[in-house]
Amino acid sequence: MSFREKSAWISLVSIGFVGFVFFLHVPWTLTPVPGPDTARALLGCLVALVVIEIVAHAVVAIRAPLDAQAPKDERDLLIELRAIRRAAYVYAALSMSAVSLLHLGANGGAVGYGVLLALVLAELVNYGSRVLSYRRGR
Amino acid sequence: MAKTRITNSIRRLRFEHGEMTQQELAERVGLTRQTINAVELGKYSPSLEAAFRIAEVFGVSLTEVFRYGEEER
Repeated sequence: MSFREKSAWISLVSIGFVGFVFFLHVPWTLTPVPGPDTARALLGCLVALVVIEIVAHAVVAIRAPLDAQAPKDERDLLIELRAIRRAAYVYAALSMSAVSLLHLGANGGAVGYGVLLALVLAELVNYGSRVLSYRRGR
Repeated sequence: MAKTRITNSIRRLRFEHGEMTQQELAERVGLTRQTINAVELGKYSPSLEAAFRIAEVFGVSLTEVFRYGEEER
């Protein structure tokens, strides 16, 4: 498995795990009132995500330094572009859906959490697409 | 997933050139070993420029490395 495939796996798992933990702390109503608990959860999850990503990537890079230093080639770029395009569609659709919650009586907090959820899901599509592409070979 | 119809003789050519490794070929054409492996297995079709570089490494024409719609010789 190449460094870039391992990197995609790391991001997929860490974003999925941290995102899941954060949204356990979000009140699933149309009129949530973001408080200090949610703010602490958001900050904690962001810090945890950064730490997990850095440590996991460092461990993988130390174990295969030449692979980690190799520049992206044309297949890596193609896989990356395809994944970002798919994620962009997901983010656009879900974030617009989140904004449309306003018409159902949702407040700004619900829209904000909705847009954040859209971002997390789009990133999962991004890295999930990369993993699938690397598994398939293209 | 159906494989591409572009086939190639890279594995044979590597063998005929001193059993060149995928890593060595990858370094000489500026691709990763994983990409060379994907090309060999017919899972990925390289760009025209990369295809020419691969043929250049083996000192043969492009059509001696890649063919369209044929099985591996």
